[in-house]
Amino acid sequence: VSLTEVPELHVDGGLPGFPGATRFALVRWGGDDSPFSLLRSLDDPDLSFVVVPPAVFFPHYEPEIDDEVAEELDLQSAEEALLLVIVTLGATASEATANLLGPVVVNQRTLAALQTVLSTGGHGTRVPLVA
Amino acid sequence: VLVLTRRANQSIMIGPDVVVTVLEVRGDQVRIGVDAPRSVAVHREEVFRELEQANKAAASPGDDALQALQGLRPPTRDT
Repeated sequence: VSLTEVPELHVDGGLPGFPGATRFALVRWGGDDSPFSLLRSLDDPDLSFVVVPPAVFFPHYEPEIDDEVAEELDLQSAEEALLLVIVTLGATASEATANLLGPVVVNQRTLAALQTVLSTGGHGTRVPLVA
Repeated sequence: VLVLTRRANQSIMIGPDVVVTVLEVRGDQVRIGVDAPRSVAVHREEVFRELEQANKAAASPGDDALQALQGLRPPTRDT
């Protein structure tokens, strides 16, 4: 999926902490050259998350997606998977952090998505976007 | 809290399709197998709580915070 479209993602069971939010619009945010997008809940209009493909800020981040996740999302090839990490904003841009422990995996073919937990790599939930 | 005593290789069922099996007991560690439908997410509790906290902290950023993020781009890297 090109991120210029507005895909509707389905997250079975919601995200941890937000079990009722199962449908999200993924929309570009911040202008043409912005790497960021917004995950906007279609169940709760006040709920949104800033997300970014991790490769933009973390080129060496290569999470291993469990077979169970691939199976649950019916991923048939690695290319079908779109990886996003949730960004926690701070008062200034340099305080922004990303959750590398729990990336969101999207099947670009079916638009099913889930937030997984990486069992390897020792990643944290608050990793600064910029050092 | 329901308390059940189980030995290694014995299981309990939660509902009709979740089976939790004690695989091995060694000292203060217990290995547990969980057989559940794909729609049932299984997490270590402390990890799930950490994700909950992280998601709550990240949820619905205010306009000021979004404004601050607006110009953030990755550092230029040497290739």
